[in-house]
Amino acid sequence: MRNKSIMFMVSLLLVLVLMALSLFVACPAPAKDKIVVGMSRPLSGPLAIIGDSAFRPIYETWVPMVNADGGIYMSKYGKYLPIELKIYDDKSDVGTMTRLTEKLILEDKVDFLWPACGTSFVFGQAPIANKYGYVLVTAEGGATTIKEALPSLPYLFVSLSFSDWYEVPVLAGILAEQGVKTAYVVYIADLHGIEYSGVFGIELPKKGIQIVGNVSVPPDLKDFAPVITDAMNSGADAFLCEGYPDQVLPAMGTSIALGYNPKVWLGGPGANFGFFHTAFGPAVEGVTCWAVANRKTSPAMKEMYDLLYEGKPEDVHDWWGHPLYWASLDIWKAAVEKVGSTDQDALREVLATTKLDTVLGPTWFTMFGDGGGLMAYESHTGEVGQWINGELEVVGYTGIEETLPNYKATADFVYPKPLWPAPAE
Amino acid sequence: MDIIRGVFKMPRLWWLISLILLVLLATLPLYGSAYTVILITAIIMYVILTVSWTMFFAPTGYLSLATAAFFGIGIYTMAILGEQLPLLPAVIAGGLVSFVVALIVGAITLRLRGVYFTIFTFGLVELIKHLLLFWEINVTGTRGRFVVLENNNTIFGVILGIFVVLMLTYYLLRRSKYGLALRSIGENEEAAAHLGVNVNLLKVFTFALSAFFMGAAGAIMATRWTYVDPYVAFNVLHSFLPVLMAIFGGMSQLYSPIIGAVIFAYIEEQLLTRFPEYFMLIFGVILVVAILYLPNGLVGLVRKWWQKGLREENVNS
Repeated sequence: MRNKSIMFMVSLLLVLVLMALSLFVACPAPAKDKIVVGMSRPLSGPLAIIGDSAFRPIYETWVPMVNADGGIYMSKYGKYLPIELKIYDDKSDVGTMTRLTEKLILEDKVDFLWPACGTSFVFGQAPIANKYGYVLVTAEGGATTIKEALPSLPYLFVSLSFSDWYEVPVLAGILAEQGVKTAYVVYIADLHGIEYSGVFGIELPKKGIQIVGNVSVPPDLKDFAPVITDAMNSGADAFLCEGYPDQVLPAMGTSIALGYNPKVWLGGPGANFGFFHTAFGPAVEGVTCWAVANRKTSPAMKEMYDLLYEGKPEDVHDWWGHPLYWASLDIWKAAVEKVGSTDQDALREVLATTKLDTVLGPTWFTMFGDGGGLMAYESHTGEVGQWINGELEVVGYTGIEETLPNYKATADFVYPKPLWPAPAE
Repeated sequence: MDIIRGVFKMPRLWWLISLILLVLLATLPLYGSAYTVILITAIIMYVILTVSWTMFFAPTGYLSLATAAFFGIGIYTMAILGEQLPLLPAVIAGGLVSFVVALIVGAITLRLRGVYFTIFTFGLVELIKHLLLFWEINVTGTRGRFVVLENNNTIFGVILGIFVVLMLTYYLLRRSKYGLALRSIGENEEAAAHLGVNVNLLKVFTFALSAFFMGAAGAIMATRWTYVDPYVAFNVLHSFLPVLMAIFGGMSQLYSPIIGAVIFAYIEEQLLTRFPEYFMLIFGVILVVAILYLPNGLVGLVRKWWQKGLREENVNS
């Protein structure tokens, strides 16, 4: 019996070894007939709501559009190659995202890498892309901290605007022009919220606006009544809520319920999406948020929005990130075509020096030494938006074009914002 | 059937098989692809969390949901000390800090039992996360930290080392008089105390011992994640997954949670990459089925089939 047992175990081991070997046998490379772009995205988990409304509608529209024209011309292969997306679900977990990013690079050997979703995820993904020499043009996410890291991340190109790049300075200019004297800041206790709180603390006092309240809230806070009551008691002219949809929406609902009507009500990521309008209807009138463009910005922008939102529900409209993501993909495509191959180093060099007319107008990346880059704030067509007559309008202040030449305010800022509509009888 | 029965009666052969598997694992970077090394690293991480969780739960019956807390402490220890210390001392520091925290927390709370203890341990994850957040915001002014990037093969070697030490520790603990005493606590805590077992000391020490391995695993995995903030480090998924993996594999044998964690992690990987749009749906169904129909886990099911086969064989003979 002992011999039989040993035979059994040896056979078992042989089978295991053969199975393992079969994993490592290389297959011959097929002829190049497509460009494979890999992404680790939050298809499930808490970030799915942001990903589904932010970058997802862009790549789901942009890629078929490019492929309908034959794809991207690659001179190395002498033909147009269509883009094929390879998408994995990272469950909104950074650890899973880093693993899947390496799977895309090492195992799937994708030709190009597109971004994960969220600021923390950009921070986690950028060093990996850098390690393997893959260019990473980001979508959702951006932060002042990334500026400090950019010199050591030469393959990173950040496309989204953020606090001091160049949202809050514009907001401060608008508020100062309207005569706002005091502001109450509520921010989510994470990287994003802390950063905005810090930049509010620098930019608002520069314009003579005093911060009379600065309160952090945990991400899972559901009852905003104490915070809103405190803001109401402060008598601040402007209420600035910098969180994500999970904070901005309940803060808005509580403000309406308690009848808190400051002259300015600003909501961070969340208030710029179509689902904010569908959730609150006419109550959104006068609410301020971050926004880059709308259909009135330019004919090119109107064309983009018409194409992008055709057949899509209002919920996935995003007046902040969408134009920036679209422009970054256009620059990326132009750079890939110029390189004509999947050479990442050459792509990095071209991206660093390309200036292209996109939906934003002249667009380029501001490079940080020999490191990575941020989409130039001078390229932005807007920073601050306000819901006016059911549309999200881009608003500005007098003389803003001196700093931001592409800036196109599509309406005058409404100050004070209208009162919340009376509850239905 | 004789063959299988023979195999189960041959501990030396099991040692030999374990050794061969270990050698195959240890030499993986020599013949495996780079991604295989990364994937196996992630699977071993889950195995460590599951086995160290089982090390405390299986004998005592105390259901802790503090895994994410100790894992997160390890992650943050590496984020803070990673640039000051060489890799191995930083990993050991991650384990030691978790050990000390578990010792303190265990001394205070292991008098609680049942659902009270479980709820407290779950609360501990949130407590540490928010304390750290408060500290980072108000004292250090840090908004997340970049972690020193390490070579994937080095990470694999270290996590494999942690796994080996954990398995040896668990094996020795199960076979020692302390293991017996722990099991007596699980059977009847009062009776164990009357028999002279220092119940509290033993519970607290084992709780802290399991936390050491969770912390060490967190410390080395932080170098793979490259960036951490309190939300990344103290993800409650890391509290629930080891429990599910242990249930999936079973807890009766030393190897049961390993099998549960390996299969569970592998299924997850396959679903995330092959069926990304349906990951949650399929995974949810698998979990429900496992919990409803595998009360003793996969290993329990296999043993049940084996024993059923044996009975039928005896009847026939």
